[in-house]
Amino acid sequence: MNNETATPVLEVKHLKKVFGKNEVLKDINEQVSNGQVICLIGPSGAGKSTFLRCLNMLDQPTSGEVLFEGQDLTKLDDKQLDKTRENMGMVFQSFNLFPHKTVIENIKLAPVKVKGEDDATATATAEKLLKQVGLENKADAFPASLSGGQQQRVAIARALAMNPKVMLFDEPTSALDPEMVGEVLKVMQDLASEGMTMVVVTHEMGFARNVADKVWFMADGYIQESAEPKTFFEHPETDRAKDFLAKILEA
Amino acid sequence: MKKFAKWLFLVVTVVVTLGVTGNMNTKADSNTPATDQYLSKVKAKGELVVGTSPDFPPYEFTKNINGKSKVVGMDMEISKKVASDMGVKLVIRRMDFDSLLVALQTGKVDMVIAGMSKTPKRAKSVDFSNVYYKAGEDLVIKKSDLKTIKSYKSLAGKAIGAQTGSIQYNLVKNQATKSTLKGMDKDTDLILALQTNKIDAIALDQPTAEAYAKNTDGLVAINAHFKDEGEQGSAIAFPKGAQSLVNSANKSIAEIKAKNLIHKQYLPNAGKYLATGKSKSAKAANSMWAYKDFFIAGVGYTLMISAVSVVIGFLLGTLLALMRLSKNKIANGISVSYIEFVRGTPLMVQILFIYFGLGLVVNIPALLSGIIAVSLNSGAYVAEVIRSGISSIAVGQTEASRSLGLSRSMTMRFIILPQAMKNIWPALGNEFVSLIKESSIVSIIGVKDLIYQSRIVQADTYRGVMPLLITMILYFIMTFGLSRLMKFFEGRMTHE
Repeated sequence: MNNETATPVLEVKHLKKVFGKNEVLKDINEQVSNGQVICLIGPSGAGKSTFLRCLNMLDQPTSGEVLFEGQDLTKLDDKQLDKTRENMGMVFQSFNLFPHKTVIENIKLAPVKVKGEDDATATATAEKLLKQVGLENKADAFPASLSGGQQQRVAIARALAMNPKVMLFDEPTSALDPEMVGEVLKVMQDLASEGMTMVVVTHEMGFARNVADKVWFMADGYIQESAEPKTFFEHPETDRAKDFLAKILEA
Repeated sequence: MKKFAKWLFLVVTVVVTLGVTGNMNTKADSNTPATDQYLSKVKAKGELVVGTSPDFPPYEFTKNINGKSKVVGMDMEISKKVASDMGVKLVIRRMDFDSLLVALQTGKVDMVIAGMSKTPKRAKSVDFSNVYYKAGEDLVIKKSDLKTIKSYKSLAGKAIGAQTGSIQYNLVKNQATKSTLKGMDKDTDLILALQTNKIDAIALDQPTAEAYAKNTDGLVAINAHFKDEGEQGSAIAFPKGAQSLVNSANKSIAEIKAKNLIHKQYLPNAGKYLATGKSKSAKAANSMWAYKDFFIAGVGYTLMISAVSVVIGFLLGTLLALMRLSKNKIANGISVSYIEFVRGTPLMVQILFIYFGLGLVVNIPALLSGIIAVSLNSGAYVAEVIRSGISSIAVGQTEASRSLGLSRSMTMRFIILPQAMKNIWPALGNEFVSLIKESSIVSIIGVKDLIYQSRIVQADTYRGVMPLLITMILYFIMTFGLSRLMKFFEGRMTHE
């Protein structure tokens, strides 16, 4: 996909995040253009998830700027932030479906309560999305009765129901049994090919190699390398990245 | 916490000061001309509110007359005369003997008549009328002990019961030093204690002792042979400084004495209510079925108090829990202090404080005071249950909800609270069950709940155990019903 010339959808400048004495993110500077798929990879504890959560302010950055469509999120109040989050879907490692609501209620909740959509519209959208993720027959099931892969697909549909401009994925397949990883990645791949802007924290190197427009390699609180997947996987520049890739290939 | 202690001290000081200044008038004797407004106030409202503790036959006791419990007895006849001499209606308020003088001082009643002896100690906080009746002290004992017990001196090493706060209580304490003194609130409890061998004798005012002996199988009254400690017999108590009321009552008492009404009319009348105690028709009248309306009314009040308190307690508890979890330091501080303070003080004291303490500032009726106290108390406990429920919900639920654009309060309302409610439902159920049970304490300020009614039935029928058993069963039906109801809703909340 080609890089757009307009302002990037997401941009971070000198992003820093400290937990107590632990400096998790030191100085991050990156941008995401419209339609781009970014895969964020790196060793555990590198701060990948923290970085992702700083993008929609689930974690408040210690310093630096997070610009969404040119607007600095770190300067917004609660209300403006709620408004912005509508445009940024997020999918979690542990799905986080609402267990007291059925699948379709999970999906309809935000469109109805936040956007004020009427029930019929929300239902139609939800049904369409369920079909898209291949779960149209599970509309009235409760999350507890679904497999992990099914739950994660519902979670993706739930995020899509708000019609977001960006989708953030926080290790979406890490909690899944191996046989269910494929079905979730397939949904994500379809989404990417439809032109959705995505930032994906993942350990699925195959997905990164085949789907990403760009790979960000993160370690020690910095983005060490930012490159096309082919370049990164075949010719890593830093020792940190070489070391990381070697370990993965061993496994 | 230090700040809080200061604040509490301030409140208590204010309340106490109000109470004291209310009583700072000069000591008055019966010849003092009245300059106060008490009598004119009573006349203006057209009723004389009299406080009494109706477990003291023949002075005052309750009788089931046409299915209604009425306070009757010598004191009530005197009160009627006093009221009619003032030209006003008589209104009777029942409460525990111990609460009577507090009720008088806090303006809940205009006068107290309860076979109450005029003592110098009491005269410090209230003004007394002239003495209207003076009798000696008796001991009520079991017939089987008649040979061994001749006076209080025969009771060395044994237990003597007396009503807490009564003259007899002090006599036993001062003179029967070799005996164990057992104080109880109610004469009916004392009789029960005697019958079940918890105590060996009860020190009672002579007419009362005789009344109980006459109406209870196996009991007799004997002279206690206490040394006279200079008590002056029974008198009517009025608020300190209410000279106008004292003067009016003294006029009535003088007339009663001149006509010898007590012995000619009042005592025989009271005896009529009592005399039937052992006859067949009395037994039928004393069957528990005859008192079903009392129990029904009691259950009604208990359910009403509980239901209102559950709702208010739940709302208050939710609010307090949210305040406690909020990042706002002031809200958090208020909530923490409230919860800790309420949980750290007995419900009984809270009820008394609201009724009598706040009563100095605003007049809150007993039932409302009881509901307020139980609700405020329940709120603190419910808050902790709800807080634990909210904390039990994984943080991922909040994050998922916020990431969808739901605000903090929407997240709480649609995502967290519904799930928390399901988790804490059993604990909440326990809380409400104990609320039903603990609401029984409101009876001490005269709220007519189930306990209060069972006390009346005990006093009316001279039967100690049966009303208690029925009360127990009724409480069980209520609590068991509630827990089944909670279970039913729990089942409906399960999502699989």
